[in-house]
Amino acid sequence: MKPLDPRLLRYARSSATFLVLATVLGLIRTACTIAFCWLLAQGISDAVRGRPLVSTIALLVVVVAVRAGAVWATDAAAAAGAAKVKSQLRRRFMTAIAALGPSWLGRRNRAEVATTAVDGLEALDGYFALFLPQLVLTVVSTPLIVVMMFTQDALSGIIVIATLPLIPVFMILIGWATQAAQQRQWTTLTHLSGRFLDVVNGLATLKIFGREKRQESRLAAVTEDYRSATMKVLRLSFLSGFALELIATLSVALVAVSIGLRLVNGSLGLEVGLFVLLLAPEAFLPVRLVGANYHAAADGVAAATDVFAILDEAQGDQRSAPITSSARLHEVEVVVDDLTVLLSERTVLDHLSFTARPFELTVLAGPSGAGKSTVLAAMLGFAGYDGAVTGGGRALTRDAIAWSRQRPVLVTGSVADNVALGDPARDALMILRALDLAGAADLDPARRLDARAEGLSGGQAERVSIARAIYRCLTRDCPVILLDEPSAALDSATEARLVEGLRQLAAEGRTVIVTSHRSAVIGAADSVIELKERADVR
Amino acid sequence: MSAEERAVLRLAQPPLLRFLPGLGLGLLSALCSVALLATSAWLITRASEHPPILYLSAAIVGVRAFALGRAGFRYAERLASHSAAFRQLGQLRVGVYTKLEPLLPDGLGTGTRGDLMTRMVADVDRLPDLPLRVVQPIVVAVVTAAVSVVGVTILLPAAGLALLISLVLGFVIATLVHSAVSSRAERAIAPLRGRLADLILETVSSLDVLIAFDAIGERLDAIDAADRAVTGATRRRALGAGATSAALAGLSGLATVIALWIAIPAAASGAIAAPTLAVIALIPLAVFDVMGGAPLAVSAWRQVRVSAQRVADVAEHAPVSRPVVTTSAPARGHHPVVELRDVAVRWPGARHDTVRGFSLALEAGDRVHIAGTTGAGKTTLAHALVGFLPYRGSYTILGNEVAGLPENDVRRVVGLCEQSPYLFDSDLRQNLLLARDTATDAELLVMLDRVGLAEWADSRNGLDTMLGDGGSLVSGGQAQRIALARALLADFPVVVFDEPTANVEEELAGQLMSDILSTVADDDRVVIVISHTAIDPALVTRTVQLTPATITA
Repeated sequence: MKPLDPRLLRYARSSATFLVLATVLGLIRTACTIAFCWLLAQGISDAVRGRPLVSTIALLVVVVAVRAGAVWATDAAAAAGAAKVKSQLRRRFMTAIAALGPSWLGRRNRAEVATTAVDGLEALDGYFALFLPQLVLTVVSTPLIVVMMFTQDALSGIIVIATLPLIPVFMILIGWATQAAQQRQWTTLTHLSGRFLDVVNGLATLKIFGREKRQESRLAAVTEDYRSATMKVLRLSFLSGFALELIATLSVALVAVSIGLRLVNGSLGLEVGLFVLLLAPEAFLPVRLVGANYHAAADGVAAATDVFAILDEAQGDQRSAPITSSARLHEVEVVVDDLTVLLSERTVLDHLSFTARPFELTVLAGPSGAGKSTVLAAMLGFAGYDGAVTGGGRALTRDAIAWSRQRPVLVTGSVADNVALGDPARDALMILRALDLAGAADLDPARRLDARAEGLSGGQAERVSIARAIYRCLTRDCPVILLDEPSAALDSATEARLVEGLRQLAAEGRTVIVTSHRSAVIGAADSVIELKERADVR
Repeated sequence: MSAEERAVLRLAQPPLLRFLPGLGLGLLSALCSVALLATSAWLITRASEHPPILYLSAAIVGVRAFALGRAGFRYAERLASHSAAFRQLGQLRVGVYTKLEPLLPDGLGTGTRGDLMTRMVADVDRLPDLPLRVVQPIVVAVVTAAVSVVGVTILLPAAGLALLISLVLGFVIATLVHSAVSSRAERAIAPLRGRLADLILETVSSLDVLIAFDAIGERLDAIDAADRAVTGATRRRALGAGATSAALAGLSGLATVIALWIAIPAAASGAIAAPTLAVIALIPLAVFDVMGGAPLAVSAWRQVRVSAQRVADVAEHAPVSRPVVTTSAPARGHHPVVELRDVAVRWPGARHDTVRGFSLALEAGDRVHIAGTTGAGKTTLAHALVGFLPYRGSYTILGNEVAGLPENDVRRVVGLCEQSPYLFDSDLRQNLLLARDTATDAELLVMLDRVGLAEWADSRNGLDTMLGDGGSLVSGGQAQRIALARALLADFPVVVFDEPTANVEEELAGQLMSDILSTVADDDRVVIVISHTAIDPALVTRTVQLTPATITA
């Protein structure tokens, strides 16, 4: 793990602000710590000698107050910094995903991508709140305190300087030693910890075969195996914490004893001795906390690295930048010429050519797996392809197209929100007309849908999705409309109404392209393009 | 806190005898760090009085011993307490499993999705934090504070009292105030964060539509706005939460100042010696250092409670109630193997029946196709047939009413091949032995050959082929065939297949269906295939239509 990934500064500018703030606050805290230790040592030695010390105590109170303020400011700055960095990264991440587009997303696990954007970034809290301020303190405060000790008492300074480097050295040595062992155990561990989930998820199957009662002893045995395997790893990994603690405390003990001995022979004053004694643990404190919070930080950095990887990918990938063109086209002839599409190394479309004319209903037919949806994806620029897709002799642009997906995807909101998606100026009359043309006149536009379009049947969702394409077609005057399996979940009466609507759109001069294997749709077509099942489609 | 939640928390906490070693070692380590500072302070102040070195040797040994002890005890403590917590995890898992077993698969209602179980299992695995990060740190902080107060009181009663007051204040701020501030803020932040998560998930899953309709810009703005709301709330919380650590830092300094203030007159009047003054002045620093872990323990406690609550919520469901039916003596004479008369099935918590008025009689050797559209209640019927769901009406096996039979007896007769058969993350052999644990490798290989998997298994690793997490390494068709082999090994007299071709590519579905029916076609085995796709009439003895029960009011 890199303690501070330079990409963090590049992708989230506010992290630089936070680092500056943390450094300033770190300096203030260090100054307070030194002042506190000095005043305390002064106070005790004055008290021992019976000198008056009202001013010392007053100063102590002031220093305590300032230090408390600095602690508060550091905490608040860390939390605010983390929140700001998270939202900067999140915004860039979502923009990057939009730029990378659906074809990129199709190759990923969607839930995982969403988790990275939500929970993954939350892990940065630990990094900012616990790790980074201590890392800054280690860099800012430890050298200052060591120098201060050196000027007061050279021998104590030397002891600390000699032992401090031992901490990273030992941690690295132990880290190396444990890494191999941890790697060996890791596979066993993940396997063992998955067993409980496996048993719970497979309980129905266990019950079918009458095995559910035997699992208890097995679960206990597996967990016991898990424990002994984990303890083997922990014995080693706790060693690094042990080394850290041991070096820090032994070094303080060495300083204390050496000061004590020199005080006896009178070569050192009491206030200097006390001051150095109080400073010694403070020199080690930030390093110890960095070590203690290493795991919280590692989680955050791992999450950020996932985000960075996708951001880097988006920067390198300019191909799927959104295609827009302000030229409004009318009566467009769509020509697909020698179209070949490869999806994850598999040829989905092989040298396909056809023409779809305005005023006509063109149907793409063929068995499932023949690549009907892929033709539409290529037209929308959602799939990379070889060959050419043109509209009216020019490259077909996305704003000339209205499209309805095969399995409808609706967003949270009302039916009207879904129909008028992407149009801030909602035209209520047009929404009704679009619903009517899609054969969904029975749906109330004000009806609310939740995230998974629950409350609508499959056929209703399908018609809302078609109405959405028709609305876009009507309000933006899109010359091309693509509908993917629009009547898969419709009964024949509704299907007939939909086909009527499609004919009407074609009659207005639009190029209507529909994928379907339903006879009612194919029968109404002006031209049918039959896609062959490919031999290597499994 | 509900009784069930308390029971879950009790299960997570190791018994006292196992918990004590870790606790004791942790306490020793904390006391060593207080003693280290106190002894060092005493040593240095005493040394400045130039006594013979002999008087200091005990303190010198003490300083070194406490330094070693602090690190050593801490290491031993972490090992002992983790070992105890993990040992407890075994009992916790068994306890939760015992509670859960009667409820699954259908007792939680129709909403039992995989992610609910995944979350619950993760919650159970988080519960060992209770002894490790909640109970232990708090007990160690309180006992260390108490011992220190007693020690200082012996040296100078007034200073002891002052330390006690500032520690109590510190503890109250660290636990109660921190918890109040954070939980209020958390309540405000959680819904905002949930909204942001929902927006992001929806954006990711409908990205193509949002882009195709030029709605993506608007959507990114909405995400920004939701994000700003979360960031704003988080900042406000940070101001409150930061105040806690500031207060602790301030109190720690103030306690030192007060100790000094009280000790100085005492030293001047000769009531205490100079080294004692140094000890009294410095002990607060070390004790507050130990106290600093309390806020972390409080936030760990909140997380543990949330997890315990969720586990308790799942375990609190009443087991699926089976209507008590007086067992009539096995009827004499001829009876169909399976007979359903006017059967209705309803999911727990649902308001309507999913299956209603279904009747069917099956004789030995019958192979029936139950057809029906999506939502007609096909899976519901299958689960009722194996006793996962209770039914109304009459369902008899060889004339015996099923409601009067023990659940396991029903499943010894009626077997089920699920729509997506569950495969355990193990090898092929283990997944098959589940059905008949006495089977030899040779028998298993013969069975693989019967279900058409012999070639596939040969090309992999034979019976040692790993199937992956949730069967991720095999295709839907192979999974069905493995399930078929399991059903044949278990030799159920009645086998129910629930949509066996649902997760299989269209091209392979027909072959699989005919393979299943011809393989299972034993002389008198009863086979029920539930499927929405058409089946070659030559393969079945008849087809029965299942109609949705939702047409009722």
